[in-house]
Amino acid sequence: MTPLRLAAAGLVLLASPSLAQAPAQAPAWAQGRPDHMANSPLAPHAPKMTVTPPNEVPLDRLRVPAGFKVELWAHGMPGARMMALGDRGTVFVGTRVIGRVYAVTDQGGSRTHRILAQGLTQPNGIAFRDGALTVMAINQVLRWDGIEGRLDNPGAPADLTAAFNLPPDQHHGWKFTAFGPDGRIYTNIGVPCNICTFDRDRYALIVSFRADGSDRRIEARGIRNSVGFDWHPTTRELWATNNGRDWAGNDEPHDTLHRIRRSGKDHGFPWCVGSWADPEPSLGRRQCSEFEQPAASLGPHTAPLGMRFYTGTMFPEAYRNQAFIARRGSWNRERMSGYDVVVAKIDGQGRVTAVEPFLTGLLDENAQKFHGRPVDVLQLRDGSLLVSDEQNGVIYRISYGG
Amino acid sequence: MRRFPLGAAALAAALFCARAEAAPERADLCVACHGEGGVSALENVPSLAGQPETFLALQMILFRERIRKVEPMEVVMEGIADADIEALARWYAALPPPPSSPVRDPERVARGRALSAAHRCGVCHRPDYSGQNQVPRLAGQREDYLLHAMLDYQAGTRQGTDTTMQGVLHGLSPRDLGDLAHYLATLR
Repeated sequence: MTPLRLAAAGLVLLASPSLAQAPAQAPAWAQGRPDHMANSPLAPHAPKMTVTPPNEVPLDRLRVPAGFKVELWAHGMPGARMMALGDRGTVFVGTRVIGRVYAVTDQGGSRTHRILAQGLTQPNGIAFRDGALTVMAINQVLRWDGIEGRLDNPGAPADLTAAFNLPPDQHHGWKFTAFGPDGRIYTNIGVPCNICTFDRDRYALIVSFRADGSDRRIEARGIRNSVGFDWHPTTRELWATNNGRDWAGNDEPHDTLHRIRRSGKDHGFPWCVGSWADPEPSLGRRQCSEFEQPAASLGPHTAPLGMRFYTGTMFPEAYRNQAFIARRGSWNRERMSGYDVVVAKIDGQGRVTAVEPFLTGLLDENAQKFHGRPVDVLQLRDGSLLVSDEQNGVIYRISYGG
Repeated sequence: MRRFPLGAAALAAALFCARAEAAPERADLCVACHGEGGVSALENVPSLAGQPETFLALQMILFRERIRKVEPMEVVMEGIADADIEALARWYAALPPPPSSPVRDPERVARGRALSAAHRCGVCHRPDYSGQNQVPRLAGQREDYLLHAMLDYQAGTRQGTDTTMQGVLHGLSPRDLGDLAHYLATLR
């Protein structure tokens, strides 16, 4: 900078108090970005909200282990994310930006979909129980009773928003929602920042409620943002994926899988991810050993979201009671990672012995380009596995044998 | 209505007719407000020419789905097909960007430039403010519209495809926003 320009900038700074200090609040995704990354070109990837024609869906790129087969099961649903299965086989699909809830039905081997609801604020949380569909959007909880009998005319839902009283924050305010084996409804409350200090009784939680929104209970604390969880089929323990913070480096911290053995335990955010202590100076330091340790690493910045334990009989025995996990893929990493479905292999003692690739091919490593973004997995009653791809607005079906 | 010199009007008409052959059918929806060639002459109405294609498509979807709420746009976009949205986005993205507005107040330009550097606007909007992907071009956009858009984000009345703009504008004064708009409008 020339002396002249420096002087001019100095004048401007003196004239303007708001310039003399750092911005009051960086956008949530950019908080915690150190000065040496100030000009990093990394930024969240653009969503795609128009229909991807079937012939442009990257089916040919997809790879699954020997003996498995992957097909295009449903398409034409921009933004398709979390899935829930109805009693009569309807697959309900939530979204974020486009604000829709879809319902996919199968008639004699071909699928059609309807738009059940639209104009909602990120209706990502989708759960089905006792004939009713519960949808959690940001600061909104809606329930359609008897939904599978009136897909063409779902009518007005019951509004449970006030009973659940969820925080209104947009950032990390989208929900994953599921009913537990105890009949309670579970959801995440993400932290409304990248890295910050916050009310630890209000954010970075997994919470459960009675189905009517009463009796809130903290199931896990210090979980930055979990957008996927399920209960182990035999132990009934809750397992959850979690998204680590951004801007701490290409390989730190790791996104994680958590085993929640007892309600209310602390899993360490914002201070620790396993034994990794966050260097953010404003946090202060804590001993990482005082927190629950993650069950496994799922890789740095890979964005592990929807996960389900496999309970079917179609896949080989080795997959029984193992966790399938969709990894939507990184943005805050110079080399892209994720964009796949992995299997966490869990032994009889609940230890994760390996995390293995299952559905791959959507990431072109050489070109550093992605062709799809898996968000959720869902087992159908025949034992096949659905995978939603948000970027292409489609659902793939993976089957074995036959 | 403002009067244009005859020569300029004839030139504009000739340019428009030359392009009209390739314009998508639905572009007739846009011209009345967003101007011939996607350069707006109306207060608080943005120019579309030279905006990133992805940004244009996503905004049209947000209007159609009534997630970004601007009354005239909700009416115009109601029920529009994805293919029409994609054709319009391609068309406007390929048009030459609007001319920059002349520098009227060098002090405000300098202040706006310093603010935009401090808030790192150029990381997402690119160092030349030409935009990329879901992030719009700011260079040469109408000053009144830039201010209007920032005020909407700050008030939480405008939804984007993510929450970045609400965060980054937090704490900026109306004067700051005005100077940012003033500076960005002068860029080419």
